[in-house]
Amino acid sequence: MSGTDTLASPRPALWQGAAGRYLAALAVLLLALLWHLHLNSTLSLSQQWSLILGRAPETFDDIQFVYAALPRVVLAILVGAVMALVGSLLQQVTQNPLLSPMTLGAASGAWLALVCVSVWWPDLAPDGRSWFALGGAVASVVLVLLIAGRSGLSGLPVILAGMATHILMGAVATAVILLNQYATQNLFIWGAGDLTQTDWSWVQWLLPKLSVALLVLLIAPRPLALLRLGDAGAGARGLSTGPILIVLLMLSLWLVASAITAVGVISFIGLITPNIARSMGARTPRDELCFSLLLGATGLLLTDSLAVMASDWLPDLLPSGTAVALIGAPALIWFVRRKLSAKDQTALQLPEGAARVSRWSWWLAPVAVMVLVILGLCFVPDAFSWRQPWVAFQWPSDLVLSLRWPRLVTAACAGVGMALAGLILQRLIRNPLASPDILGMSAGATFALVAFTVFIGGSIHEAGPFVAFAGSAGVLVLLLLLGRRAHYAPGIMILVGISLSALIEALVQFVLAKGSDQAYAIIGWLSGSTYRVSDAEALWFAGGTVLLFGLSLATGRWLTLISAGDHMAQARGLNASRARLVLLVLVCACCALVTALMGPIAFVGLLAPHVATLMGARKVWPQLWLAPLVGMVLMLFSDWLGWVLLYPKQMPAGTLAAILGGSYFIYLLARRRLR
Amino acid sequence: MVIRGVFRFFVLLLAGLLCGQALGAVTITDARGEHTFDSTPQRVVTLSWAMTEDVVELGVKPVGVADIDGYHTWVVRPSIPEGVADIGTRDEPSIEELAALKPDVIILANGQEDLIDRLEQVAPVLYFDAFSADHNNATVARRIFRKLGHLFGKEDVAEQKLAAMDTRFDTLKQQLHAHFGTDLPRVANIRFNNNAVVFVYGENAMSSYVLRELGLASALDIPPSQWGVTQKKMVTLSTLKADDVLLYFKPAPGVEKLFESPLWQAMPVVKAGHVAGVVSTWSYGGALSLRYLAEAMTDALLTIEP
Repeated sequence: MSGTDTLASPRPALWQGAAGRYLAALAVLLLALLWHLHLNSTLSLSQQWSLILGRAPETFDDIQFVYAALPRVVLAILVGAVMALVGSLLQQVTQNPLLSPMTLGAASGAWLALVCVSVWWPDLAPDGRSWFALGGAVASVVLVLLIAGRSGLSGLPVILAGMATHILMGAVATAVILLNQYATQNLFIWGAGDLTQTDWSWVQWLLPKLSVALLVLLIAPRPLALLRLGDAGAGARGLSTGPILIVLLMLSLWLVASAITAVGVISFIGLITPNIARSMGARTPRDELCFSLLLGATGLLLTDSLAVMASDWLPDLLPSGTAVALIGAPALIWFVRRKLSAKDQTALQLPEGAARVSRWSWWLAPVAVMVLVILGLCFVPDAFSWRQPWVAFQWPSDLVLSLRWPRLVTAACAGVGMALAGLILQRLIRNPLASPDILGMSAGATFALVAFTVFIGGSIHEAGPFVAFAGSAGVLVLLLLLGRRAHYAPGIMILVGISLSALIEALVQFVLAKGSDQAYAIIGWLSGSTYRVSDAEALWFAGGTVLLFGLSLATGRWLTLISAGDHMAQARGLNASRARLVLLVLVCACCALVTALMGPIAFVGLLAPHVATLMGARKVWPQLWLAPLVGMVLMLFSDWLGWVLLYPKQMPAGTLAAILGGSYFIYLLARRRLR
Repeated sequence: MVIRGVFRFFVLLLAGLLCGQALGAVTITDARGEHTFDSTPQRVVTLSWAMTEDVVELGVKPVGVADIDGYHTWVVRPSIPEGVADIGTRDEPSIEELAALKPDVIILANGQEDLIDRLEQVAPVLYFDAFSADHNNATVARRIFRKLGHLFGKEDVAEQKLAAMDTRFDTLKQQLHAHFGTDLPRVANIRFNNNAVVFVYGENAMSSYVLRELGLASALDIPPSQWGVTQKKMVTLSTLKADDVLLYFKPAPGVEKLFESPLWQAMPVVKAGHVAGVVSTWSYGGALSLRYLAEAMTDALLTIEP
């Protein structure tokens, strides 16, 4: 983005082009408005108009128009406009086209807060709930911003911090939901994001809170324009950008949190509209803000119209948020794919640790694995007491053994698989923060399995590995197509990851909102449990993992060369692009295998290579051996903890791994910033 | 005294006969086919709330049940006797705990079919497809109750309780006629999701069956679905006529706000004052939950001015 050129360009010419653009957008907005009202009301246009002008409603249809159709339209316009405005503001402040309220984790904070309130404080009045949601949203965004820090805002760190917070809070919320089924039933519509209204109360609640948007429109353009000159340039013009930026960030945080509280999780609008606005020619900061705002209102109105239409056709209601995600995810990839070129190589330093793996470290990991295996096989949770802990250890009977070994094998293999995927990916992209679960590879398999259950039917536990492989392969093809020109830059991968995970969430929320018990099976599967893996599956899993480990060892030399740089690789006679392709396929195979057999596992792929590095495995070879061991320890420990923590109730290993791993990852990011 | 003695004798005789019958083999058909038990199963584990309900109603004390806390929060009646072991969640029950109970039979229902293989390592498994879009959930619940009665040699208990329930339906129906006259209103029954969206109980729902048994026609035409509910916009309720009755199940947190809104008050059924709340009742239960549903819904209906 070269702001200086556009600032220097003559104003009249720019304005003429812009006028046509604005007129066209306004015309579309008007048409969308009329269509939306037409879909939601049985009244003729003239009757509608007379009601708007103040005719007292008489029939039920009149009242329905005034108290249901109109507030819905107003809310759609308000929320769409505000989300887009905030998205545009954030993206301009940070020069980061992937930043939006959604990527900052606002929705997941509000979601977690609401889930907790519903379970532990069910009698709280709706107004009280709104404040909790608002508080949750604000808290999570502040957390993300603190983790990312000023310098991290323009690049990947803020996105990664947002994703990490999102996954962590989502995992905690899932754990609470799984242990308290039905108590959270009333939330699922909010989670899916729905604009259906029955009076003006939400508009009245929201409108005063959104009035600060005008303030943003007034004060933002000047500092934003100066910001494009760079901090130094801005300073030269006598403006310190820091304080103003903080004020702008706080204002946008307030706006987003209010909107989310009112209508639920309606993502994408804030992420995608500024990108569309730019690609349609919005140049100056004010232009981008205003045009995004207009596009946002139009966009949400149009997608909500589709949701209304679909709800009439389908036996069940289609929430607005689901419709937005179904349309928004592909649109986002389409509009942003060209923006994310290879430039986004925000190289991050590996964490410091031992220079090489000591003999002691080499012993530590296998010993930890052995200890966990013994714990997993011989521990009897209800016989445990602090006075006589050894009583809780018994040699398992045949039945107990046959129940426990597949769990252990599955957990261990999942740890190895994710560790390998993470390690290869981090070397490939040369970014130690890359992780297969954030980059959309596990998401592909998950998406395929969830979509299969929702649209084709059947239990998610029976959908099987083939569907998972198809999903992972689909993402791989998408990544290859999109990424080839960008040289597989992390940006494009994260984009796919974000889009897919938002799509999955929308689908899951849609199923949840239907209120059937199928939803709980899907949530259970999404949290990654070893419970249902059969003997045969565990053996297949073990075989597949050994094969993948062998292949990874075989590609060790490529990894060394590629992490040294493409030129180095070429000079040593390696066809770098072919090697990358093979390695990417390997990563996808790891993810698909783990996801198909156990469900999505977050953070292990990120953490295992890290911990291995901290232990001194800085070169490829020791890392290839140590990281899988660390992954094994992580997963075995999560599985064991989930088993004994609330015995006889079980918590899925994936949820615990996400909570443990997420906390560590956030600590890692925060420490990087504090330095 | 003599009469009581004779009565006791006959009761003992009857019990003896039943036990004698129970000593023989029992064959029972579940969703997967026929299963034969050499003798009446004594130690029972139920992993689904509806099955737990049925077993407890039959007077059989299970040795283990999944998610007792959840059951007592949501299902409530009949309460699970003291001393029954909790074996974890319904989705992932602890098979080790279950095996330690040495059950003679494990009874499952919808959503647990993928546990069957695992559990058969421990004990014979019965799996019932209790809730499905392809059948009427209430008639199937009655059928399952009879089958379980047969399995535990308690056919007489099952028949007697079902008959008592039908008699109760008749009494309630007479109460309704005494209140409303010969023509009973058409009734829609819903649960609020939030103020804008409601779950409407459809053709094959437990509560809709109860309404039919009470002689009340359905006011909304909702096709069958697995659990009998379909999600609709609240405004759909405006199609209800002034003569109809709308019953909503409690708890409905925050619904007072909706009740004050002009949109709600403009609906014909609301204007006529034909709306009543039903005390919190589990609507996805076993056969005898139909009785609780009928009683709760009749109580609500009787608060409505005809």
